Amino acid sequence: MIHRILSIARHTFKQSVRDKVLYNLIVFAFLLIGASILFGKISVDIQRIILVNLGLSAISIFGLLIAIFIGVSLVWREIDRRTLYNILSKPVARWEFVLGKYLGLLLTLLVNTAIMAAGFYLALFYQDRRFQAQDVASLEAIYFILLELALIVGVALLFSCISSLTLSAVLTFCIFIIGNLLADIRWFGSETHSTLVSAITTFLYYLLPNFSLFNVIGSAAHGDRIPGHLLISRSLYALLYAAILVSASILIFEERELQ
Amino acid sequence: MKLQEALPRPRQLPRGLLWATLVAALAAQSVLRWAAGSVQAGSAAATTPLYVSSGKLLRDLSLGYEGLLADIYWTRAVQYYGRERLSGHPRFDLLGPLLRITTTLDPHLIIAYRFGAVFLAEKPPGGAGQPAEALQLLRRGIVANPQYWRLWQDLGFIYYWDLHDYRAAARVFRAGSERPGAEIWMKTLAAAVAAKGGDLRTSQVLWAQIYRATEDETVRKSALAHLEALKAAQDLEELDRVLVFYEKQAGHRAGSLKDLVRSGLLGRLPLDPSGIPYIVAPDGKATLGPGSPIDLRLIH
Repeated sequence: MIHRILSIARHTFKQSVRDKVLYNLIVFAFLLIGASILFGKISVDIQRIILVNLGLSAISIFGLLIAIFIGVSLVWREIDRRTLYNILSKPVARWEFVLGKYLGLLLTLLVNTAIMAAGFYLALFYQDRRFQAQDVASLEAIYFILLELALIVGVALLFSCISSLTLSAVLTFCIFIIGNLLADIRWFGSETHSTLVSAITTFLYYLLPNFSLFNVIGSAAHGDRIPGHLLISRSLYALLYAAILVSASILIFEERELQ
Repeated sequence: MKLQEALPRPRQLPRGLLWATLVAALAAQSVLRWAAGSVQAGSAAATTPLYVSSGKLLRDLSLGYEGLLADIYWTRAVQYYGRERLSGHPRFDLLGPLLRITTTLDPHLIIAYRFGAVFLAEKPPGGAGQPAEALQLLRRGIVANPQYWRLWQDLGFIYYWDLHDYRAAARVFRAGSERPGAEIWMKTLAAAVAAKGGDLRTSQVLWAQIYRATEDETVRKSALAHLEALKAAQDLEELDRVLVFYEKQAGHRAGSLKDLVRSGLLGRLPLDPSGIPYIVAPDGKATLGPGSPIDLRLIH
């Protein structure tokens, strides 16, 4: 069972690596990180802060793009190319297929993020010719970016099992935006003084993934470390929510009629 | 004969011509861009629009990338300040809003408070001449970064240089000197400014604290010199009052302080903290004796 899941994950990873879009995104991310060094020079006294903010934002944004655009095509592409029937005709369960796909893309993102992180730390070293103790904060921020990406891949996978390619991408992006504004949405609800609206916004607040929990780039730029309890609690939150998203995707895919 | 060979081959465009066209077009567009740039630069300092003036809204819209947005707004504020300053007719209308947005997006961007306050407080044409706005910016910075004592220092300087409110400056320097990690000279600054504002008593208390607390011999000597100057200034004030009283009673000015001793107004000849007797100056006021090492300029 594990062997089959890992085979699908490995295949998904290879498929993603072969995808030229992936390389373009990495090149763009490197360019952006390099540009942050130049950008820092036209500002006043915040070169390092700009480098961290721009570098980590580049890792996050390009990771987000990869997660959405490859995530939504994970299942859709296999159906569209009819390769899914080949796979499912072999002794592979549907849930194994979905889980393998999820893990494969997660591995892709992990490798991409690791490459971009290496580039980012190279830029940091280039700027000061040394590393500082506060640079550990950036590593924590990269870990949080990965947690966020794990959730976004989950959302993309879920929509990929339900909807078309374009619609899945749009919906995933919408969830990302809403997931960043949940606190405001809840506040708006309470401001309307309507019990119904307030109840709906509170329900959404607890139902949807809260991406703002993983936004620590700003504090990493100032070298602020994340307290241990937050590292643990948010890792658990991401793990739990990713499990929910993958389980929901499996349930939907199990019920889906493939023609 | 194969069909492909029978068909006439489509005429190929000469590659050299294509390359030449490409290079010429690139050069031509660069000239056009240069001309357009000259027109823009030649027009009056273009007003920079501020499409979104709410930092809070921008923070929400940034989707977690508020740090990056803050850096962009800070760079924009710096560029705006520089451009306006060089324009010949500087107007800094947008400087305050740009700094407010920057610090709302990233409340810990210390540089935006520190440099921003200088840009705002400095008199035109070097700055916006808005010390009140600068004070507001720094106070917000202090609320967001209560441990950062240098913001108190900047706040004190605005009171001192731009508003000439020495008492307020001294209060601020003193409050800042009590923040963790604050340099000892913040206390000396508070003491010196308090003296300048005429608050000799506060100044004396602060210098005494510095004298007791410091382990640096230079600072200790400086504190002692200030304490002696303050004591001398207080003595001279008191002696002036006695001299005025003497003049009223005797009907003439005292020639020296010995007259006051002889009249019984003083028990003995008063000495300054260094042990040298005070004297009466030609204008009839008490002053330091010749050779006294005390430097009254330290407190004025």
